[in-house]
Amino acid sequence: MSEIGRMLKNEKPEHPYVPVSYAGSMFNNFATRFCSGCGYGVIGQIFTRIFEDEHLDPHLYPTVIGIGCYSQMLLLVHYRSQKILALHGRAPALATGIKMANPKTKPIIFSGDGDCLGIGGNHFIHLCRRNLDCVIFIFNNSIYAMTGGQGAPTTLYGAQSTTTPYKMFENRSDGVKLALAAGATYVARTTVAHPRTYMKYFKKALTHKGTSVIEIITPCVTYFGRKNLDSLGAEYTGIKGEKMDQGFKMIDWIKRNTVRINQAKFMTEEELFNKYIIGEFRYQTNRPEYSEEYAKIQEIAMKED
Amino acid sequence: MISENKKRFIAPGRHLMMGNEAMSEGALAAGLKYFGGYPITPSTEVIEHLAKRLPEVGGVCMQMEDELASINSVIGASLVGAKAMTATSGPGLSLMVETISMAANLEIPFVFCDVQRNGPGTGFVTEPHHNDLGLVRFSGNGEFQVIALAPMNCQELYDLTITAFNFAETYRCPVFILSDAYLGHLHEVVNIPPKEQILERIIDRELPSPEDFVKKFTYFDDITGEIVIPKPPQMGTDYCPGLFIHQPHNYEGLPTPRPMQYIQLIMDKINKNKDKICLTDQYKMDDAEIVIVAYGLPVRSSYRAVDIARAEGIKVGVFRLITVWPFPDEEVKKAVKDAKAIIVPELNYTGVIAEQVERVTELQTPIIKIPKVCEFHHPQDILNVIKEVAM
Repeated sequence: MSEIGRMLKNEKPEHPYVPVSYAGSMFNNFATRFCSGCGYGVIGQIFTRIFEDEHLDPHLYPTVIGIGCYSQMLLLVHYRSQKILALHGRAPALATGIKMANPKTKPIIFSGDGDCLGIGGNHFIHLCRRNLDCVIFIFNNSIYAMTGGQGAPTTLYGAQSTTTPYKMFENRSDGVKLALAAGATYVARTTVAHPRTYMKYFKKALTHKGTSVIEIITPCVTYFGRKNLDSLGAEYTGIKGEKMDQGFKMIDWIKRNTVRINQAKFMTEEELFNKYIIGEFRYQTNRPEYSEEYAKIQEIAMKED
Repeated sequence: MISENKKRFIAPGRHLMMGNEAMSEGALAAGLKYFGGYPITPSTEVIEHLAKRLPEVGGVCMQMEDELASINSVIGASLVGAKAMTATSGPGLSLMVETISMAANLEIPFVFCDVQRNGPGTGFVTEPHHNDLGLVRFSGNGEFQVIALAPMNCQELYDLTITAFNFAETYRCPVFILSDAYLGHLHEVVNIPPKEQILERIIDRELPSPEDFVKKFTYFDDITGEIVIPKPPQMGTDYCPGLFIHQPHNYEGLPTPRPMQYIQLIMDKINKNKDKICLTDQYKMDDAEIVIVAYGLPVRSSYRAVDIARAEGIKVGVFRLITVWPFPDEEVKKAVKDAKAIIVPELNYTGVIAEQVERVTELQTPIIKIPKVCEFHHPQDILNVIKEVAM
């Protein structure tokens, strides 16, 4: 870890947000551990940018990071944010403890598709059900990338992975639908190919009181792109695609494979198969928030004699 | 503030209390602010009692969706500076071990009440069985030390819970209270001391002075040659590392390339302080030729058996472990040095503590186990063994 600084000392890129990143602060330069074509650089940079531009108080916005490739993002995100690496899938539970013990805070949870919809699915459902005031990001790259490209709950039908070498034949789980059913009050999905939308949703989530779920579709070139054809999600057209072995091909594919929520209303189920619907799915402000409700209980309990 | 809160302490004097309630009241007196739990027989009364009592003192009692979530929320709460605990039984403990290992790495203090029940598997859920000690002492992957205390009556459930919180704050490690199904459901008289006496004992969660903010994790002081355990860092204050990462780390919380030294630190911070951590008790041990080594509920039967045996002229005494882990090697060695025989009545078949006694005693000293599962040791059971040995 300490080698990063020495290796790239003279290659400091010109960028206004470099000094505020953790790596930039510690090693005086900007370096990532991500593969080329990965989307986490975009996500980390935008988080840092908003953290800096919105002047978020690091004491009030603790960052809880789950386990996945994005765990390395703790080097990219703002150095003043207080970060804790949670166990695999347990980030929502840990954030519940932080929020309830110190109700002034608003935890920001980083979690992935395997983390949040696989191993920690139960915690995610109950976080949404309680409507605890926090922001939870689901970084969906449809693969278990850190362990080497195994099939995830979100892997598209027909895709290849190291544990589904012939093809994926399971139904994929949809984080947004799950969050809607569980009762989260702000639910949105965007992609790294739409960074401005991501910024907009994140800012909205910061002002929203209640659980905000933002799913971000992000490319994994190394383990998903190299194994799969860009005809995924467009099977009904019958065109045989080519391998997505470079970053721009995957970004292109993500752009082609997403449908805006107002367009999706007019599309058939067959056309929407293996596609990502992006947009804001719910914005509800009248549901009570958990820690506020608990404070009322505390008041009642303290009064009684 | 909480310390001025009137409802934190119940009225001093004699109270008839259930074991689980006495434990909860002890925790409240120690300054408990967060409880995360999941109902499991026989520990359910703890969460039931605290769900009523914690909001009264401005604390939070959360019934989480499962044991994994409850322990993770407990360490989350402990990170932001609340004294936190959870209570569960054997099956819950086996779910929680992963997080206990993480908490040991990050040196997050919390108290863990394990109301033991019969196993393996579901077992007889309302029967006591001291079968969790094996899991507790090596709970989780990796090498680390924990502290486990074994009370024997409701009074001790109250007192030792306060001690457990103090240990957790001082040594920054998971501290276990090994209760069991009978003890948890036992109704007994508990003497609650006056508020001032309790407050004297309690170590509060405080921030160090700002010049000590750099060193946040246990480190070896080169000048004094001692291991220093700083106060637990708190998220939401300036006394917090930039990242809590559960890898071998140095005193600033940054990953260290020397994992061996790191493991040594988190083991030795307990092992080097054994003289303060290991609480023991001796009963009629002055001239004892036969020594009973016991902890938890069997101690009570042993006391009775010893009284009867002494009346018949047999020189026998009880060496009681209050802290069962770390095992007090030196004290046990000293106590059983001249013993003709050692009797270890335990509420399990394997004899986890008997193994430890075997480890520290001389080879020729016979060690007689009295295993019982799901039932009390009748004093007569122990007396029979004493008479057999004495002959």
